[in-house]
Amino acid sequence: MHTMAVIQRSVWALLLWPSLLTVSMPLDCKEEQGSLSGCTSISQEKLLDRVIHHAELIYRVSEESCSLFEEMFLPLPLRLQISQAGYTCITKALPLPSSKSEIQQISDKWLLHSVLMLVQSWIQPLVYLQTTMDRYDHAPDMLLNKTKWVSDKLISLEQGVVVLIKKMLDEGTLATTYSEQGLYQSDVQPEMLESVMRDYTLLSCFKKDAHKMETFLKLLKCRQTDKYNCP
Amino acid sequence: MMKKFGEVILLLLLLLLFFVPHAEGTRYSLPGKPALTRCRSPEKETFTCWWEPGSDGGLPTTYALYYRKENSETVYECPDYHTAGKNSCFFNKNDTSIWVNYNITVVASNALGSTFSDPVDIDVVYIVKPNPPEKVAVTVMEDKGWPFLRVSWEPPHKADTRSGWITLIYELRVKLDGENEWEMHLAGQQKMFNIFSLRSGGRYLVQVRCKPDHGFWSEWSSASHIKVPDYFHRERSVWILITVFFAFIFLIVSWCIHINSHSLKHCILPPVPGPKIRGFDKQLLKNGKSEDIFSALVVSDFPPTSSSNYEDLLVEYLEVYIPEEQELILEESKDLHDGCLKPKGSTFDSDSGRGSCDSHTLLMDKCGEAKDDEQQTDQDGSQTGSEAQRQQAAWEQEALTYAHEDMISPDMSSGRVKTWPSVFSPLPQYSLSPLSQPSSLETAKQHCLSDSLFPPASLSSYLTQPGQSTKEALRSSYSDFCSSNKQPHLLHPQPDARHHLQAHSDVNISSIGHKEAPAGLQLPTVQSTEYVEVHTVNEDDMVLLHPVPSGHSHGKGCLQMHQGEDYSKVNGVDKNNVLLLQRDVIEEQVDMCPCENQDMNGATESCCTSAQKSIPCIHTTLPVQEEKAVNGYVDTATMFPLPIH
Repeated sequence: MHTMAVIQRSVWALLLWPSLLTVSMPLDCKEEQGSLSGCTSISQEKLLDRVIHHAELIYRVSEESCSLFEEMFLPLPLRLQISQAGYTCITKALPLPSSKSEIQQISDKWLLHSVLMLVQSWIQPLVYLQTTMDRYDHAPDMLLNKTKWVSDKLISLEQGVVVLIKKMLDEGTLATTYSEQGLYQSDVQPEMLESVMRDYTLLSCFKKDAHKMETFLKLLKCRQTDKYNCP
Repeated sequence: MMKKFGEVILLLLLLLLFFVPHAEGTRYSLPGKPALTRCRSPEKETFTCWWEPGSDGGLPTTYALYYRKENSETVYECPDYHTAGKNSCFFNKNDTSIWVNYNITVVASNALGSTFSDPVDIDVVYIVKPNPPEKVAVTVMEDKGWPFLRVSWEPPHKADTRSGWITLIYELRVKLDGENEWEMHLAGQQKMFNIFSLRSGGRYLVQVRCKPDHGFWSEWSSASHIKVPDYFHRERSVWILITVFFAFIFLIVSWCIHINSHSLKHCILPPVPGPKIRGFDKQLLKNGKSEDIFSALVVSDFPPTSSSNYEDLLVEYLEVYIPEEQELILEESKDLHDGCLKPKGSTFDSDSGRGSCDSHTLLMDKCGEAKDDEQQTDQDGSQTGSEAQRQQAAWEQEALTYAHEDMISPDMSSGRVKTWPSVFSPLPQYSLSPLSQPSSLETAKQHCLSDSLFPPASLSSYLTQPGQSTKEALRSSYSDFCSSNKQPHLLHPQPDARHHLQAHSDVNISSIGHKEAPAGLQLPTVQSTEYVEVHTVNEDDMVLLHPVPSGHSHGKGCLQMHQGEDYSKVNGVDKNNVLLLQRDVIEEQVDMCPCENQDMNGATESCCTSAQKSIPCIHTTLPVQEEKAVNGYVDTATMFPLPIH
């Protein structure tokens, strides 16, 4: 019996040897090839470029949605009120470099981690924003689409940054959520004005953070290409 | 034991079967190897892969697609086999990541086994092939009467170009209905395009496609048809107008050429001048009488018999006559038959050149002054030579022209100079003569030919009569005629010349009269004829004359003593355009003697320098001025009341 089992396994192994061969053989990596034999892995530069492009788009769209929201829901006196009220951004607590000198001193690793922190901390609030904005009566479709888009893209960006970290720093996968999830889920039905003001604050804070992400990533790219000329 | 042996044999048989797959055609076999044909993403958010199955081996075969993400060993199976059709796998948004490569394998399996395809690595960004552009709209628009097509379109609705997720570039193609060749246009990122240069009345097809920056071109959109309206007739009418216009122009031009064909022929192809010999008659030649022909060619006075000296044409010096009394004048008036002054051996022919101005003894830029001076000198009653007469005639002419001008100035002299050569060449002057009054010409002729018949007085009286132009013409014609006269014997000897000269002076002066009042001039009582050579013009614009003893007329001329005044220098010009003569007392006359025997032509200059030392007596000019002030010009008529015969 034992020999029979062995023979069977060996036969299966023999039958499956072509697949083993193909799996073990690495394929040549060719650029810009849409054909079937592509690279086994995307190069680091290409990955970084895509991440930057991603972050740029997110920032642009968030800027558009913020201004749209402002036009739609906030008359001028309210804007002043918000600035006077001094709502704080949720990410203020994060250990992020804030000044230019700090950013110059920070290492590549820490830059990447900062970006990841930012991204991960915004995923949940944006999802929440979607739900609150759906509650508005006359929120325009465009605004809703934009915010949806942003939230989707942010999740994708997170994936990208993770892959990038893995590639650049050879670190393993990190925990996907840093953020304090409980912060925005407790509210029961806040007042309309309050809701509007909070949402607006959220959007504007996100806009700033998106710009921060983009800046960090671009700085990282600059350091990759030309280490001594970067700001 | 047998059971085990049986199983082993069975396994071996199976092995054999597997290793000899193509042993029998009709036998069932493993499925053929499938192959992934393509994977495409329409918007970089989802993608689809298609495969081609191999032979199915006679048994029902199933296909499965497995994929791995880059650097991960986890094998996933395709989430959706149906959305994209048969033999396809659709990856939705959640499963699509632009950050990682996909390693995809297709497995075909039937009852006998499975066959794996070659794995393929996919980078989603590089497999994007968008959908064709949508809502392609073509319209005909006009630009200043010329139509053009405006093509506009929308990007495929799935492609997210608004946020910048995908950047698309577009391309369109146009062709006429029925033709085979397309005209391609690249439109870049814009969603609108204009097509010009259309054929009127043509029917066009338009298609658009797009491509992302990394990726594949989409399929062509469905063809849009458009018909261009007719504008051909307007184009044609313009051509018709142009053709008619040019035909009209051509007709006119040809008519003009036809009308003027003769003169045009002369203009373009001027007739070659044939040889013309004066006096040669072609008809005689044709008639054949050679003697007549050649006899006509013989010119009586050619070659010139008298010793012609070209240099005599040059005015070397002047005969300045300073008359003393009226009786002397009267006596000498009988010799008028000679007409003009005897030339110094020069002959006159119509081809005589303008030698006078080339004389080295004359300064061209001071010619005007010189002429005036000479004229004044003549008014003193001097006698001039033949050339002098001509010269004087010229001077008179010059003086006349001078009279027309306002002020004496060095610039004027140049003008006068210019006229001098023309004056001296008889031909042009001669040609002028027909323009003058025929009566005056006739008179001049008569006078010239029969000099004895006409006293100078009558001449002068005649000549002093009428208007200036007449006199001028008369004078000019007179001088011309005289100069062109080939008979030297007609010319006066010197005494007669005096009269003529005087007459000329009269004419001159009276003709100048409208600007210059004639002024009497006291003539010094000097008897004999003298020759004056214009030596130089000094810096005060004074022409210095030197009396030259005449070699052939007065042997003792050099010994003459000028006791009186010598009005051979012009002091200047006052504001009334009056020449102020300087009365010089010439003391040294003897010095002239050695000069007279020398060649008159050339060397007198050097030895006559001493004559310059005549004392200028400015105060003596006063009476001259007074006289002039009365009349404005020196009137020899008053000075020499010539008897009228």
